[in-house]
This record gives sequence, C-alpha cells and structure tokens, in this order.
Amino acid sequence: MSDSFGLISVVIFGYLAATLAVGLVAGRRASKSVQGYVAGDRDFGLLVMYFITGASVFSAFAFLGGPGWAYSRGAAAFYILSYGALGMAPWYALGPKAAALGRRFGFVTQAQLLTGRFPSKGLSALMAALTLAAFVPYVTIQIRGAGIVIEAVTDGRIPLWAGGALAYGVVMLYVLASGVSAVGWTNTFQGVFMLAIAWTLGLYLPYKLYGGTGPMFEQILDARPELLALPGLDSAGEPWSWGAYSTSILVSAIGFTMLPHLFMKAFTARDDRTIRRTVVLFPTFQLFLIPVFLIGFAGVLFPEAPDQPDFVLPFLILRTDLPALVVGLFCAGALSASMSTGDALLHAGASVVVEDGVQPFRPLSDKARRVLMRVLVVAVGGTAYGFALNENSSLVDLLLASYGIVCQFMPSLLAAMYWRRATTAGVASGLVAGSATAVFFFLYPGLKPLGLHEGVLGLLVHVPVLLAVSRLGKPQDRDHVESFVRV
Amino acid sequence: MSYPVWRRVAWCCHLLFALAVTWPGQTLVNAPAPFVLGLPRQMAWVAAWIVASLLVMWRLDAARNRQVAHGADVGRDGNATPRAGSDVG
Repeated sequence: MSDSFGLISVVIFGYLAATLAVGLVAGRRASKSVQGYVAGDRDFGLLVMYFITGASVFSAFAFLGGPGWAYSRGAAAFYILSYGALGMAPWYALGPKAAALGRRFGFVTQAQLLTGRFPSKGLSALMAALTLAAFVPYVTIQIRGAGIVIEAVTDGRIPLWAGGALAYGVVMLYVLASGVSAVGWTNTFQGVFMLAIAWTLGLYLPYKLYGGTGPMFEQILDARPELLALPGLDSAGEPWSWGAYSTSILVSAIGFTMLPHLFMKAFTARDDRTIRRTVVLFPTFQLFLIPVFLIGFAGVLFPEAPDQPDFVLPFLILRTDLPALVVGLFCAGALSASMSTGDALLHAGASVVVEDGVQPFRPLSDKARRVLMRVLVVAVGGTAYGFALNENSSLVDLLLASYGIVCQFMPSLLAAMYWRRATTAGVASGLVAGSATAVFFFLYPGLKPLGLHEGVLGLLVHVPVLLAVSRLGKPQDRDHVESFVRV
Repeated sequence: MSYPVWRRVAWCCHLLFALAVTWPGQTLVNAPAPFVLGLPRQMAWVAAWIVASLLVMWRLDAARNRQVAHGADVGRDGNATPRAGSDVG
C-alpha cells in the first residue's frame, strides 16, 4: 500500500484539478445575474441536463451507502433501486409545466412557484426553512462520504476531516465562482467518470472473488440466505418490516420528484423537449445501481469485515490487489459521486434561502443577492462540515429522514399547478401539519404504526388538511388561477 | 398508437411498477433462486420494471413528437407545445 500511495494521490489530485478547471471555465459563459447564477440563463442542453439529474441524484449515498446496505442489510437495499424511475416519470408532465411557469413569471425556485400562486411571505419562509432542514443532513452525508473514501484509500494518512475539507474546498471554489453552470458541467464530467468506474468494478469484483455474479449469489444463498429474502434486514440485523420497505420506496419516489435541487433544474433547461428527453433517458442512470450493489454483495463472504458497512466499497478495493492506478480512479469516481451531489445541494440551498427566505422580506439588488448566495454557500457548507465530523448514523438513514420532509412539498406544488380550488390557507396549513407530523414521528419512531415511514404518515395528515381548509375558504381569483393551471 | 393512448399506457405501467415492487406485489416474487442473468430474482424483477419504464417513456415521447410534427394539438396535458410558427407574428 505504501508504495502505491504516491500514484493514488496523483490520480486524486489530478481528478480534483480537472474538476476545478471544468467548473471555473463553465461559469465564464453565464451572465452575471441571479438568473445566470441560479438558472444558468435557462440554456442547458440535453447532455448537461441528463448528467445534472443523474449525477446529482447519485451521490455518496449511492456509491457508499448502497453497497453498505447490500453488505449489511441484504435485499433491503433493493428499495434504493426501486424508487428512482418511479419518481422521475411524473416529471414528463410536471417538468415542462414548471418550466413554462418559470419562463412566464421569472421563477428560479420551487417556493417562488408556490408563492406565485399562493401569495404568502410565511409560506415562502417555511419552504426555505424546510429546504434547509432537509439539505444540511444531505450535504453532511456527501462531505462524510468524500472524507471516508480519502481516509480509506490513503490508509488513514489523510484523515476524514482533511479529506472532506479538501474535496469540499474544491466544490466551494467552483460553486462560488460559476454557480449552476459549474454544477452542470462538473456533473457531466463526474457522471461519465462514476458510470464507467461503477460498471467496471461491479462486474470485475464478483468475477475476481467468486468467479461471477451467479456463483457469488449461490454462495451467499448457502451461507446467509436471510440476506437474499425481501424485505431484508434492519440496521440491527433483525428482519425489516414490509411496511417500512414499501413506504421507504413511496416516500423516496415522491421526495425525489420534489427534491429542490432537481426541481429547480426545470428552470435551467433550454426547452421543454430537453426536459422530456432527460426524463425518458433517466432509467439508464438508475440501472447503474446494479453494479454498485454487486460490489456490496461481494463483501458479504469476504473473510475480513470493515469497521462500518459504509466503508465496504473502499475496504474491498484495497484488499483485492488491484493496481494502484485503478484504486486511484475508483477513489476519484466515488469523490465524483459525493461532489456532484454536494455542489448541487450547496448551490440550491443558498439560492433558496436568499430567494425565498430573504428577498420577500427585504428586497435586495440583483448584485447583493448574488453576494449573499455566495456567503450562504460557505455557511451551509461549513455547518454541514461541522456535522460531518461527529456523525454516527448511517448515510442511508440520514437521507431517508430528509426525504420525509421533502415529500411534503408534493401536495402543495401539485395544488399550485393543477388544482383550481386550492387556497393559500389550505396549502399553508397542509404543509405545516404534514411537516409537523413527519418531524414528530422522526423524533418518536417507536410510535409509528406498522413501521410506516414518517413521510407517508405526514402525507396522510397533509392531504386531508389541504383539501378541507381549501374547500372551506373562498376560491382564488379566476384569472389568477387560470394563469397557473392552464399552461 | 396515438399519444393519448401512450399516455394512458405510461400511467398504467408506472402504477403497476409501484404495486409490483412494494407490499403485497413484491411478495409474489420473493425467492432469490433461480437466478436471472446471475442476479437474484427480486433484483432482476425490479431491473425489468426499470427497463419497462424506459421503453414506455421512450415510446410515449416518440408518439408525442409524431403528433406535434403533424401539427395536431397535444391536448390539455398541462404542457401543450405551440405549433411551429404559431408564436411568430
């Protein structure tokens, strides 16, 4: 390991330098305005849109948490495979509609669309606060993931805190300089990289260790049959419940549709056709989880065990006598996964706080908003970095918690775009009731009926409140409603 | 098939997808063996649905483009595209 350390570091630093260069160059085309910084002047083509959706979804969570789950919880990991294509399909209709509203009214965030239809400063601030609450754990995961990879591959020479700081220092630089254009183009570069690495290693490792995926699964079936029976195991190694497995899929699919950093990308597309094609092609990205799971399963019968399941991927790679160049490339692939999501989150989080949390209360000039967004990129990144240093729960658990909050956006946004009778009071009370329910069951998981995910429980309260309060109130002005519903 | 028909097919396909990978649909396919292409059967089952989603969305989009190319109105699906030239002048 010690001889190869030099080569591995060269590959990693080369990768970081290339990413930085792509990110900095990308921003030179965008206009110096909020619309340029947040929505890329609404000029992203198919290639960039494909990778910005794919790569910002496939994060450190997919690259490290996915194999970690396959390794420790077996078939439970299949839920991760199930939800992406389901969550993306509604975008075929939603995306172009949101984009048309964005062009008509100048929206660059989700909350602007919502408060455009339902004027309320409180609603805007609530959306900003919920987005931030969902994003901080999500960015924490990414920073931790980057730190884990660098620490494992350098054999602890670069500890987690330094590795996370290094990778996210690069991310900050290009997000600060170039905004969403940097996110788009670096994601394209990083997406190609991680797809290639995942497929290569996912097929190679089972072959090298067991002689193929079939023989690997036969041996697992003999030795640990419980790992291959759905719904798999929970984090304590006990059988997971079907209620939890099924609702995790539903919440993730809904949350996925509503993820602010993805939703906002509807406002970046050049035209509707680009959005539709991105949706059509998305399942090809989803299949990339298969090799990632194979890597996790390859660790099940490996004689040694990593300290934490999330480390299983780098752990295996270091113990299978791969050439140092491949290890370095893998490391860069995993960093890609972490950074391509982290940059989108930091950028979207800062944009949302300024556009939805500050602007409605204290209007600022275009220039002041861009400065404030950059300050917030650093603040959000710094906070998440602080959490990343002392975090004990698994990557997937953190992610599921933030999806529980994000999926509460769905009834509100569907009401804004499709339901004529919805009122501001109805949407606001639904959102408050749903989020409060989700947070309550997250804090007291013992009270959850049938192990259902707190996001679904939140929706069960949210939707009736939205319907009832809207029906009781006075309908909105007809022309106003039609300008949102008939697009 | 026309675009409205494909739209219905797409809705049904994803509804079935959701039912097939959650309880109780997924319990119908819960034995890992026999393997499919070297993968446990449940995993191949989910992968097959993803491929089905890809194919249906691809045909849906093709049908939509055909319809738009013929100058027909794509209907009130919430995102009608103006016909070529209709926004000029």
